[in-house]
Amino acid sequence: MNERSERPWLVALASLPGMGPARLAIVLDGRSPEEAWAHVRDGAERVPEHVAARWRERSAVVDVGSLWQAHVDAGVRVLRPGDEGWPAALDDDPEPPALLFARGEPAVAVEGVRVAIIGTRRCSYSGRQVARDLGHELSAAGISVVSGLALGIDGAAHVGALTGGTAPVGVVATGLDVVYPRRHRELWDAIGAKGLLLSEYPLGVWPERWRFPARNRIIAALSDVVVVVESHAVGGSMHTVESALERGRLVMAVPGSVRSPSSAGTNALLAAGSPPARDATDVLVALGLDPEVQHRIAPPAPDGEAGSVLEAVGWEPATLEQIADRIGAPLGPVAVHLADLEGTGWVRQQAGWYERVR
Amino acid sequence: MLATVPSAVLHGVDGRPVRVEVHVSNGLPGFTVVGLPDTACRESRDRVRAALLSSSLPWPMRKVTVNLAPSGVRKQGAGLDLAIAVGVLAANGDVPADAVARCGFIGELGLDGTVRAVGGTVPLVDALGAPAVVVAADAAVEAGLVGRHRVHAVRTLAEAVLALRGDEPWPDPPPAPPILPLPPGPDLADVRGQRVARLALELSAAGGHHLLLVGPPGAGKTMLASRLPGLLPDLGDVEALESTRVHSAAGLALPPGGLVRRPPYRAPHHGASAVSLVGGGSSWLRPGEISLATNGVLFLDELGEFPGSVLDALRQPLEEGVIRVCRARGAAVFPARVLLVAATNPCPCGQGGPPGSCRCSDDARARYARRLTGPLVDRFDLRVDVARPDPGELLAGPPGESSAEVAARVARAREIAGTRGVRCNADLPSPLLDELAPLAPGAVRLLDVALRTGSLSGRGLHRCRRVARTIADLAGREGLVSEEDVALALQLRAEPSTMGAAA
Repeated sequence: MNERSERPWLVALASLPGMGPARLAIVLDGRSPEEAWAHVRDGAERVPEHVAARWRERSAVVDVGSLWQAHVDAGVRVLRPGDEGWPAALDDDPEPPALLFARGEPAVAVEGVRVAIIGTRRCSYSGRQVARDLGHELSAAGISVVSGLALGIDGAAHVGALTGGTAPVGVVATGLDVVYPRRHRELWDAIGAKGLLLSEYPLGVWPERWRFPARNRIIAALSDVVVVVESHAVGGSMHTVESALERGRLVMAVPGSVRSPSSAGTNALLAAGSPPARDATDVLVALGLDPEVQHRIAPPAPDGEAGSVLEAVGWEPATLEQIADRIGAPLGPVAVHLADLEGTGWVRQQAGWYERVR
Repeated sequence: MLATVPSAVLHGVDGRPVRVEVHVSNGLPGFTVVGLPDTACRESRDRVRAALLSSSLPWPMRKVTVNLAPSGVRKQGAGLDLAIAVGVLAANGDVPADAVARCGFIGELGLDGTVRAVGGTVPLVDALGAPAVVVAADAAVEAGLVGRHRVHAVRTLAEAVLALRGDEPWPDPPPAPPILPLPPGPDLADVRGQRVARLALELSAAGGHHLLLVGPPGAGKTMLASRLPGLLPDLGDVEALESTRVHSAAGLALPPGGLVRRPPYRAPHHGASAVSLVGGGSSWLRPGEISLATNGVLFLDELGEFPGSVLDALRQPLEEGVIRVCRARGAAVFPARVLLVAATNPCPCGQGGPPGSCRCSDDARARYARRLTGPLVDRFDLRVDVARPDPGELLAGPPGESSAEVAARVARAREIAGTRGVRCNADLPSPLLDELAPLAPGAVRLLDVALRTGSLSGRGLHRCRRVARTIADLAGREGLVSEEDVALALQLRAEPSTMGAAA
């Protein structure tokens, strides 16, 4: 039996519930994938009994041939270590995936320089802006942006990266046909069309909690530098950071306000010695690349009273009352200036809180 | 022998005149009450008989029939006791029938012959056409509020009988209790800082704009809301009588002097049922909280915790100012003109202050926002985000303006609104806004930007202009509504787009 024809059984094995690379290694252990499949159907050994039972149940209803055909029809490539298109960065990984499912151009994950831009889903608006700008500038500098397509920072980084010109990489924790989060469908499709979508899981696999940290390790492994834009003190981004440090990747953090809870994690990283990433230039310098970044041209800042109101907004979310108190002015004129600044895109208001955008 | 006595029963918050007809004839001794009496009403047979005997008055050992006319209307309550007792005596010839027919009788009898006050004295007396009315001594003040009747207050049935026979004069009315000034309500001076929230409160009072307070627990939302009634002017005569009738019908204690002069403040808990808020009930149509708060403030704390069906029930009365409660046994119309103030947390965890600080999942936040952005939010003209005050300001900051100072400005603004032919600016009809609230060029520019960016809706535009008019009125600016007025009104608008909790 040749190596190619084993893939349908490998895909079927990977589609079993609770199947990760470690368990796959256990069931393969000297067997061919087809033998391993039969082994699972009879009740796998060396795995907990309830897992073996679920596998037995599931494998009885999976049609290996049609599952494989679904991947062929969907244009999803199935990569094994050593294949053309298998990311070399995963070769010496401590926990390499056994299989990768890819849509788009796999070369992106093999050649060139890749930078991960990650962060919390519960981010501030300015954090989202920073992620978008970083994504755009790095992409424009010829760097492929890697992220997880989550809400918040991840998605914003990808939105920026799509406009920069270099193909981005999205690593997801579900089957490539299960868009999660749903509202990122357009972004998901755009990455698949212009860059590369990667997953460790076959089609039809639903999001489960444990798959996200597993996905994060692939993001870390694929990237030369990991930039954390905003993170709470505890959270998924910090897991990615741990994975990156285990793999010897450089972790950079975007400095934030010391009072902002969504910057608590990034500021802690800085305190622990991560280099700061104030903009794309910092990242390029850390990569040893030419730091000639095409910054987006900012319009001149407003002056006069509007300028002092903008000054008073500062770089942390503030309420109308706080802003008026800072410059000791009555509410009315300050509200006028804020409305103007919002109209011209200098500040943004949400639920009564003003944030400076640029 | 027949006697007819005028009295009244309560229907919703209105009285309905009832003629108590008593017929005494030969036959087997007995006592029947007909004409759709409810249980309390039917039991009056026993109370009346005992009261007469205890008062050493003769009970006719003949057949007594009482008819409550109109007989098709259901009668409820014990307020007809006195009228039935007097009717029996008149029919039996123990008191002159003509003295009885010129006088209305309202009161419940004790077995010992005492006359007790019943709930709803104000609307009951109001329903009587007779020139005089006999009520319990406790209800004398309430009965006098209507002002059309000579009020005779009696403590016992015997007193009433003696006066009706002309043997003795009507007893002196009980001395009116001294009218003590009401204890002052909570004062706005206690609120330190919170400039924007104070402004919103003042606008709400002056313009009659419904107000939504959003903020984390401990930010002072309830404290602010409870100070709103103190900013409202005293009720006018018509409004005072209307509120008094509702409170009287609901059996609430009336303030000394009888008339509800200060705007009522009702704050039902979020466990309240729809019926308790809008009124209803199976045996008797009771006014709900929204009617008890009429001409005053209805405060809904933890708006997000009220069941959606309960909030939906409030929409129609808020729109129309009255509520029609219909049941199989009848319908009633209650007044429901309130200033609605609601408070809510920004998200389920309650910590959502500045963007990025909330710990809720996206789903939880979206669900919460959906509850708040329901159609009820359309009724709010003002939304203010109340942040936890700065501790330094709480301890050392100067006290704010007092309620009296703010109330004076509010009263002036309401007078100005009166010259436009409306009660308050919230009632300004949209077609007249161009005439009554013309915009300065800068104001037009700001609204244009807000409309273009989609942060202001067409419906929101009208509300924003009304609020801006109130801001200008409070500042004493007649004529054009300025740029600043509109900027503040935009800042305080409650649009679905401004409702999403900070992410």
